[in-house]
Amino acid sequence: MLRCARLVSALGALLVLLCLTVNPRPAQAAGAYVQVFVRAPYLELHTGPGRGYPVFNVVDRDASVDVLKRYTDWFKVRTTSGVEGWVAAHDMEQTVLADGSAFHYDVGDLNAFTSHRFEAGFFFYGDYGGASALSAYGAVFANPNLAAELSVGEFLGKASNGTTVDLGLAHIFYPQARLAPFVMLGTGIVRIEPKATLVQPDDRFEQSAYVGGGVRYYLTRRFFLRGEYKEHIIFTNRNQNQQVDEWKFGFAFFF
Amino acid sequence: MEIRLRILLLTVLLGLSGSLSGCATLHHLFGHDAPAAAAPADEGASTDRSADEDSTPPRVIQPEVERRNVKVPRIKSQDIELGGYIGTLNIEDFGAHRVFGVQAAYHVTEDFFLQAEAGRSKAGRTSFETLSNISLLTDNERWFKYYDMSVGYNFLPGEVFIGRNHAMTSSFYILAGVGATDFGGDSKFTANFGAGYKVLPTDWLAVHVAVEDRVFNSDLLGENKLASNLEAHLGLTVFF
Repeated sequence: MLRCARLVSALGALLVLLCLTVNPRPAQAAGAYVQVFVRAPYLELHTGPGRGYPVFNVVDRDASVDVLKRYTDWFKVRTTSGVEGWVAAHDMEQTVLADGSAFHYDVGDLNAFTSHRFEAGFFFYGDYGGASALSAYGAVFANPNLAAELSVGEFLGKASNGTTVDLGLAHIFYPQARLAPFVMLGTGIVRIEPKATLVQPDDRFEQSAYVGGGVRYYLTRRFFLRGEYKEHIIFTNRNQNQQVDEWKFGFAFFF
Repeated sequence: MEIRLRILLLTVLLGLSGSLSGCATLHHLFGHDAPAAAAPADEGASTDRSADEDSTPPRVIQPEVERRNVKVPRIKSQDIELGGYIGTLNIEDFGAHRVFGVQAAYHVTEDFFLQAEAGRSKAGRTSFETLSNISLLTDNERWFKYYDMSVGYNFLPGEVFIGRNHAMTSSFYILAGVGATDFGGDSKFTANFGAGYKVLPTDWLAVHVAVEDRVFNSDLLGENKLASNLEAHLGLTVFF
């Protein structure tokens, strides 16, 4: 009973904290929003950010609206009379800024896929030497062709589980293409946890090196698919080093 | 004598007037106006100028406007959703227990989103343990900890009405993903799938009700089987 009361009070405190810290209308001064002018015959305002939500208001040509925020491909706007509603991105493209230039919001395109600074992704499917693997990576680009990558993963197998951390370089061929191949080279650390048997072995930390390659396929906006293969050499204390093949496939985005 | 004096004075006067003929003051004095002399040459131009002046309003204030370099404010995006949840997790063979978790989502489009979840619960005792009064797992091994990464799809968007004046947007969603579960001293690759319903009281706050199943291969009780762990939870998330 006491735990239940504690739980309810903790949740209540969390709710209050959320309400206090997250203000629905941030303290932005008037004029801090982007103002756009309608150039189409009218601008439709939806009740919610989605094509299924009904149109409840329209803004006339030449009238202005303030753009409050964006959620995916929808913009929340406020009219001069204070009505707030959601406008689709393709409708917003029919508006202009105060200086007459067309309203444009950068949601990413093939040019940005070609040349960007950072990217990150998650591999949903992976196979690390026969074990199921999950991993995520982040990359920093020096130029459109060359990136430094950090990858962290976990593999879960019948004989052992483990964690991998890889750091390396990737060279992308034809970064301007929608389907861009790449090669990788790097080093890492692997922690291997053998499964319990009659004698519980200790976890092992080993250094590894890898070489690999893969492809990146641009989907839309800031998103692309990535599939890759790595051949790891794990430097063990035994007479022979261990070779592990890793395949993985995932989803990534750049920014 | 008097006549001579008059002639002398008149001569001096004439001489002075002749020598000072370049003086502007005297020119003006004697009606020698230079613009007047040039007037016939500029006559046509002055006519045009007067026509222009008729068509444009006279300038009262000379404008001195400097072009400002206007910086367009950044549009705030709300594609990221963070929050937590509380619910019940039915751990196969170990009973149903309270589960706590945190979740983060990135909304790619109005339809699709990526979601990560991490949660924990503590398993109870199996029927065998209760009846025989022995423990198969240590206290630490009873913690059921998981994480997953899923792809979700929103469907059936709609609105929920409270009275005449309040409407809240809502949506059903389905999701499926993969992750790992740490339970009974072992980590297992886990597939998760489920469905949920969310209502947004404001644009930045969402209340979720979701049911998910977490499935993994388990040999904890001797035989290898697919363990299905059904979870129902109530969540609260904030959009950033």
